[in-house]
Formats: sequence, C-alpha cells, structure tokens
Amino acid sequence: MEIFLQQLINSLSVASVTILIGMGITLIFGLAGIVNFAQGEFLMVGGMITWALVMAGVNFFVAMVVAMLAVGLLGLTAERTLFRFTLTRPMNGFIMSIGLSVILQNVVIRTLNEVQKSITPPVTAVWTVGGVDIIAMRAIVVAITAVVVAVTYFGISRSRYGVALRASVADQDTAALMGIPVKRYVTGVFVYGSVLAGLGGALMIALFPITPFTGSVIIIRGFAVSLIGGLGNVGGAVVGGLILGLVDALAAQYGFPQWTDAYSLIVMIVILILRPQGLLGGTMGPRAT
Amino acid sequence: MTNHNMQSPTQPVTARVSLPEAKPRYMRGIKEPTREEWCLGILILAGLIAFPFFDPGYRFLSLAVSTIFTAIALYGLSLQFGQAGIMSVGHAGIMGVGGYTAAILANQLGLGFWESLPLAMLLSALAAAVVGLPSLRVGGQHYIIITFCFCALLVIALTNGGTFTGAATGLDVGPIPGVFGIRFAKLDNMYFLCLAALTISIAVTFAIVHSPYGRTLWSIRENEPLARAVGINTNLHKIGVFAISGAFAGLGGILQTYYLRHISPELYGAFPSLYLALMIMLGGARPLYGPLIGSIIVNFLPELGGLDPIDSRIAYGVGLLLVILLLPGGVSGGLLSLYRRGTKTRHRLEKGRGLS
Repeated sequence: MEIFLQQLINSLSVASVTILIGMGITLIFGLAGIVNFAQGEFLMVGGMITWALVMAGVNFFVAMVVAMLAVGLLGLTAERTLFRFTLTRPMNGFIMSIGLSVILQNVVIRTLNEVQKSITPPVTAVWTVGGVDIIAMRAIVVAITAVVVAVTYFGISRSRYGVALRASVADQDTAALMGIPVKRYVTGVFVYGSVLAGLGGALMIALFPITPFTGSVIIIRGFAVSLIGGLGNVGGAVVGGLILGLVDALAAQYGFPQWTDAYSLIVMIVILILRPQGLLGGTMGPRAT
Repeated sequence: MTNHNMQSPTQPVTARVSLPEAKPRYMRGIKEPTREEWCLGILILAGLIAFPFFDPGYRFLSLAVSTIFTAIALYGLSLQFGQAGIMSVGHAGIMGVGGYTAAILANQLGLGFWESLPLAMLLSALAAAVVGLPSLRVGGQHYIIITFCFCALLVIALTNGGTFTGAATGLDVGPIPGVFGIRFAKLDNMYFLCLAALTISIAVTFAIVHSPYGRTLWSIRENEPLARAVGINTNLHKIGVFAISGAFAGLGGILQTYYLRHISPELYGAFPSLYLALMIMLGGARPLYGPLIGSIIVNFLPELGGLDPIDSRIAYGVGLLLVILLLPGGVSGGLLSLYRRGTKTRHRLEKGRGLS
C-alpha cells in the first residue's frame, strides 16, 4: 500500500505536467476553435529554453518565467501568421499545426542536438510524511499547477473576460455585436495556452530529462486529457489528467510496465467512443464538424 | 440499354441511348476518361516506364521504388480523404498491418509474396474498417486524433509482440519469388512490379471516383445529413471506403516489406503517418495524380535539394504551411487550376478574335 501511495504521489507530479498541457489544448481547441498539434512542441521548446538558461547560470524560477514569456511570444507569432487564416477551416489549421510541430522539432534538433537534456533539480529536499517520501520539487510542481488551475478556472468561469470569451464561443456574431473583440480573444486564448505549455515544459525539465522528441509523446497525452474531460472544460482537464495519472500509477505497479503508454490511449479511445463530448461535457470543439 | 426502374419516367434516357455499344454491367455508370485524361495518363505512364532506362543509378531508382509504394498507399488515403472527406493520420499503421501480415506469414508459415499478397490486403482492409468504426460516432478532428492513437497503439503492440512480431528489431523476409523467370531481387524488376501495382491503383481510383459509388462518397463529404435523408446508408459506405483505403495501404505495405526485406515497428509509427498526411496535403487529395505528385515531392526533395534529413524535414514543414495557406488544393490542384485558367483564357482570346 505504501508503495502504491508512493507511486500515486509520484504520478501526481507527472499528472501536473499533463494537466498543464491538456489545459492549454482544451482552451485552444474548445474556446478558440484551433486544434494545435504543435502544443507538445511548444512545451518542449519551453523546456529547452529553461535548460539553456539554467545551464547559463540563471536561477530556475527566473528561467521558468522567461520560458513562459518566450513560448507565449511563439504562440502569438504562430497565431498571427498562421492560424488566423484558417479559423473558418479548422481542419486546415490542424494539418498546418502538424507542419509547425515538425518544423519546431527539427529546428531544435538543428540548433541543439538530439541528446536528452536535464538540469539538477533546483530544490533537492525530501520530506517524509507517514512513511512516504515526498520529493520537494514534485510537491512544488503540484502546487504551481494547482494555483494555475485555480486561476484559470475562476478566470474563465467568474471574471468578465471569461464570460466574454464564453459568449464569443457560444455565438460569435452576437458577441461581436455586443462589442466583444472576438478575434482578439482568440489570440488571447491561444497565447495563454502557449504560456501554459511553456510553464509545463519548464516544470517538466525540473522533474525528468527531455529530448526534442518529448513533444510528440506528450501531445497525445495532452489530447487524451482534454478529450477525456471535455473540450473547453478546465475542470475536465484536471479530471482527465488525474485519471491518466492514476492509470499510469496502477499500470506501473500492477500491470505490464511496457504497456503503460497503451493504457492511456485505450482509455481515451473508449471514452471518445462512449462519450464524444467528454466525461464532464464541453463544447463539441470547433463548430463540431 | 433498358431501364428497369419503372418509377422514374423523368430519367434522362437520351444520354444512355447515345452510348455506342452496351457496356458490361460492372462498367455501367463509370464515366469514360476524356481524351485529355487518356493523354495525360499515357504520358505519365510512359515517363515512369522510361525512367529506369535513363540510367538513374541505384540511389535514384530505389528512391523511385519508395515513391511508388508510398503513392499506392496514398491513393487509398486520397479516396478516404479526398472523396469521403475523412482524414486519417494513422495510415502508416494500416500499411504496417499489411507489411507485418506478410512478414509474419513468411516467418511462421513460410508463405511467399504472392500467397500473402491477398491476405495482407484483406487484413489491412479489415483493420482499416475496424479503425474506421469510431468515425461513425465522432467526426472531424476527434476522429483524426483517434487514428493517431490507433497508430501509436499498433507500434506499442508490435514492439511488445515478442518473437511473433520480432519486437523492436522487427522481422526479415526473403525476396519475391520470380515469375516467368523474372527475378525481383533485381531493382529494375522490382520497380516495374511496383509500377504495375501503381498503374492498377490509379486505374481503380479513377474508376471509383467516376462511378456512382464515387458520387455517393462525394455526397457524404459534401452533406452527410442530406445524403442520409435521400436514403444513402452513409455508415456502410464510410466503412466501405475505409476498407478500400486499407486494401491500398496493405498493397503499399507489402511492397515496402518485400522491397526493404526487413521491417520494424518504427516504420509505422506516428511520424511516418504524419508524413503520409503531409504528402497527401502537398500533392492534393482530389486530383487523380495528386498522391503521386505528393509522394514524388517528399521522396525526391531531400536528394535533389542536397538537404540532410533534418533540413529536409524543416523544408517539408514549411512547404506544408505554404501549401495550406496559398494552395489549399495541393500542388496538383494548383497546377490544375493554372491549366484551367490557361485554357479559359485561350477560349476567351479565340472568342474575342472571332467577334472582332
């Protein structure tokens, strides 16, 4: 049982990174109507920027903020130069984001190399609570994620910006007539999702080594999380991330570890077939085609 | 040409009466290729047949073989995406089903290329139909993500398959047994074998696109609720087109297996699948030669541009972005509209001259 508890706490920190990317996808997909396959690459770029800065002697938390800003800028550029033109044809935007992910991945390989990168954990303390070892860095990752989730959740459900955003998803034309700058909101959501990916990348490299190929692995988990929970639903992304974390912990402990990746894929396929709108329900994606 | 359908007196029979002779039953309703289409087809085929005689060297000839078996698989995807409008980024996985079927049959039962060919195509078709089932419930991008997951699942299953699938190292197969003394271990002959399969694939694609079945698929793509309302069993036809698409992928996959003589799971992973999607978008899914053009561009670009693999992948990505932003119909769609504009201008010019 204690081993299981240990596994659970460990997978909670992994789930945090998954929740961050899943939340970015769920917001961008569900609210801005853009399927961004390059989100995983955004996370990887965020991790790489953090790595480069920490290697240059910058404090980890400063590097994290710089990575968030840099990836946010990347998102802004991508939205303005690419996705803006495919808003009416989401399928083309999706294919384009695949192209973008291929470009980003190979540009990172070109400028750095394929070798995995890691940093020494910025916080190395280990707390023992009731016989369970808790690595402080993992607890910090979980705490940061919890704060970001809370801010995002209340931002979308309570603030006037969140209300305006949901209004422009529900009815673009009416929202525009009410004076909501719909396109600017789309940009805003895209940039916010990118910033979350940058944060996810920075937190991820604090926990595990990452390679230029990390993005293409994590993106599937991100999609799984957002689709399991329901698109555009922040709470759903959290639930989805926790489900995946739990499945992973159980699989690592009781199942066949080499099949770990398969379980989350199977969970996602089954949920998509049984409940296409996700467990908690959400918008059906960009104009539900 | 008797019309057995008594309930449609308004049927325009004149068009049918004008046919020179009765066509066999299976050819009915398939539009004959126009003279332009015949010319273009023969020209392209002649060019492809002539290619090995220009002494392209081993490297270019092997690239051409890869181009052709990839193009065969792409013709399946072009029917599924271009005609029925259902994109998939798991097509390499279906190719893998074909390839692994052949390799497992060869290793376990000692079957050769010709015996396992129909089985590989059948199993691929079946696998594609099963992967296609969720598309009846979830559409659009959701379905694309599901196909991506199936592809990733297949790679995990193949990697964990032990000696049956050869795990991560994969399986070896022997050469294709010769027919009438033609040895397929020789690259030229392999090229002609693939070319024959490609010709058949293009002909079948043309026939399907211009048959009543193709028009049914078209109606599903353009307006599925309407298609259902006029009595088309859209679910059946969608699964049908997945199966056809899978059979093409299986053919491409088995040719790939016997060309490489060794296969491993990473050939069929997520990224090969993405590249297939990229090729179909680059070339254009609807024009008849779009898949071939897409495959030629992606296979030959790195060699002709002198790019290393990383640079060429960046180039593909940039190319994909440019094509989607500037030429949504793909390169072949762009060429086609250029040609149409050209002929239209010529007609207008001639008409203008006639008036003056």
